[in-house]
Amino acid sequence: MSAPQFDIRIDKAGKLTVKVSGVSGEECMRLSDMLAEIVGREDSREKTSEFYGPGNVRVSTSGQIHGHTHGA
Amino acid sequence: MSSVCVLTPIVIGAWPSIAAAVAGVAASMGFNIVAPERLELESQQPTRRKVQTEIPESEILEDEMGSERIVIRQGDVEIVFERDHDGSLKLCVLGEKHSKAELERIGQEVAGRVVQQFAYHKLITELKKRNYAVIDEHVEKDQSIQIRVRQGY
Repeated sequence: MSAPQFDIRIDKAGKLTVKVSGVSGEECMRLSDMLAEIVGREDSREKTSEFYGPGNVRVSTSGQIHGHTHGA
Repeated sequence: MSSVCVLTPIVIGAWPSIAAAVAGVAASMGFNIVAPERLELESQQPTRRKVQTEIPESEILEDEMGSERIVIRQGDVEIVFERDHDGSLKLCVLGEKHSKAELERIGQEVAGRVVQQFAYHKLITELKKRNYAVIDEHVEKDQSIQIRVRQGY
């Protein structure tokens, strides 16, 4: 597995959008928690399709399903 | 595997870290830092308009050593940053040639950039402590800062 990587955008009002990649699902969540702890407050978190690997499912923290599974 | 999170910075720090963020913003936006002695001489100008704003979710830790105030100026616009009585970071924007709405817009823009600078420095400092390194960094046309950070570099 590759090293953990953060792609961070800080907009001109200070709001941050961070993509965490290169780690397993559980570690990805742990690193997202760490970033929130450093910065302040987490507004939202979304697991991308990459999080699950093949299957194209995207689930927000509110539990809403935004995508679909193949072969369902 | 990846996730995307959206974070709002909470500006908590001692005055020197806030002053450093303000100084960085001043330099990048073409403001000059006003020396305190000049400020005393020019503080009484009744023709200037004035608006006040504050940085939400900010807390300036008390500093026994120095004054908790910094003033920056560009043209007729002067912005005073100081610790409010409740500990939050307050901005007072003054100007002669601008309307109150314009001063408010300037204040909001500068306040946002201070939060941006503060968040940038805090995040990079903390990530370096955790053995992360910046492998790419640039500022976009919309003034957002884009950073790629990787562990173990």
